[in-house]
Amino acid sequence: MENQNYIYQAMFLLDNEEVRGQGFNATRDWVKATLEKHGASVDVLRLWGERSMAYTVGGRKRATYLLGWIHANQETVAAAKREMYLLGPVFRVLFLREDSIPEEELALGIQDSQVSIPDEVEEIEEEEYVDTKAEKAEAKEADKADKADEAKEADGEKASAKDAKVEKSDQPEAAEGEKTAAAKVKETSKEVTKEETKEEASSASESE
Amino acid sequence: MSQKSKHPHDFDCKDIESLQRYINGQGRIYSATRSGLNARQQRQLKRAVKNARFLALLPYGL
Repeated sequence: MENQNYIYQAMFLLDNEEVRGQGFNATRDWVKATLEKHGASVDVLRLWGERSMAYTVGGRKRATYLLGWIHANQETVAAAKREMYLLGPVFRVLFLREDSIPEEELALGIQDSQVSIPDEVEEIEEEEYVDTKAEKAEAKEADKADKADEAKEADGEKASAKDAKVEKSDQPEAAEGEKTAAAKVKETSKEVTKEETKEEASSASESE
Repeated sequence: MSQKSKHPHDFDCKDIESLQRYINGQGRIYSATRSGLNARQQRQLKRAVKNARFLALLPYGL
C-alpha cells in the first residue's frame, strides 16, 4: 500500500526574487528535477500565475504560482516536500490527492512561460516609508516648537502671576488704610452724636 | 424534473471568485444555514477555503 502511486495536484509558491534572477523556466526545471529525483513522474507543470498574496509570507507580498499534476506515492511526496522547504526557490507547497488529471490540464503539459514580475511595489512602499519618516520628523520638530512656545508662555504666565501677587500684597495695605479711615470716620461720627445728645440733655434741664 | 443547482458541484481551492461568495468580509466561512449548502458540500467548501488560505489566495482573517 505504501508504494502505491496516486495522482496528485501540486501547487508550488515560488520566490519572485529567485524567479527574477534565474528565470521562470530554470526554476520550473529545478522543481521538476527535484520531483523526479524522488521518484515522481511529472505530467503537467505550468505557470498558474504571478499575483499578490492575501498575507505576507516571510516578508514576501507577491509570489509566482506553479501548478503541477504528478503521479507519485506518499513517501515521494513527503521527501520532495522536505527537500523543497530546505532548498531552492519554493517557499510553500500543497499536494492534493485527486482521482484523475483533467484533460485540459493534460493538453497543457510542461510549458515554457515568461513571467513579468512587477518590482514597483517594494519601491513604492520604501518611498511611502521614507515619506512617513520625513512626516514623523516634521511632526516631532513641530511638537518640539510647540513645547518650547508653551514653556515660554508658561514662564510669561508665571512672571505675570508673580506681579499679580506683588500687587495683591500691596492691595491689603491699601485696604487696611481704607478700613482705618472708615473706622476714624465712624469714631468721629459717634463722638458727634454723643456731643449732640449731651447738648440736648443740657437744653432740656435748662428749660425745666 | 431536476433543478440545476446554483452551487458548484466541486469546490476548487484555486477558484477564488466562487469561494469568495461563501466567506464574509472578515474571511470567515458562512454557516450551512446561511450558505444553503448540504453537509457534504459544506465540508468540501471548508476544505477548499482552508487550502486556499494555505496558498495565500484567501486571508485567514482581516
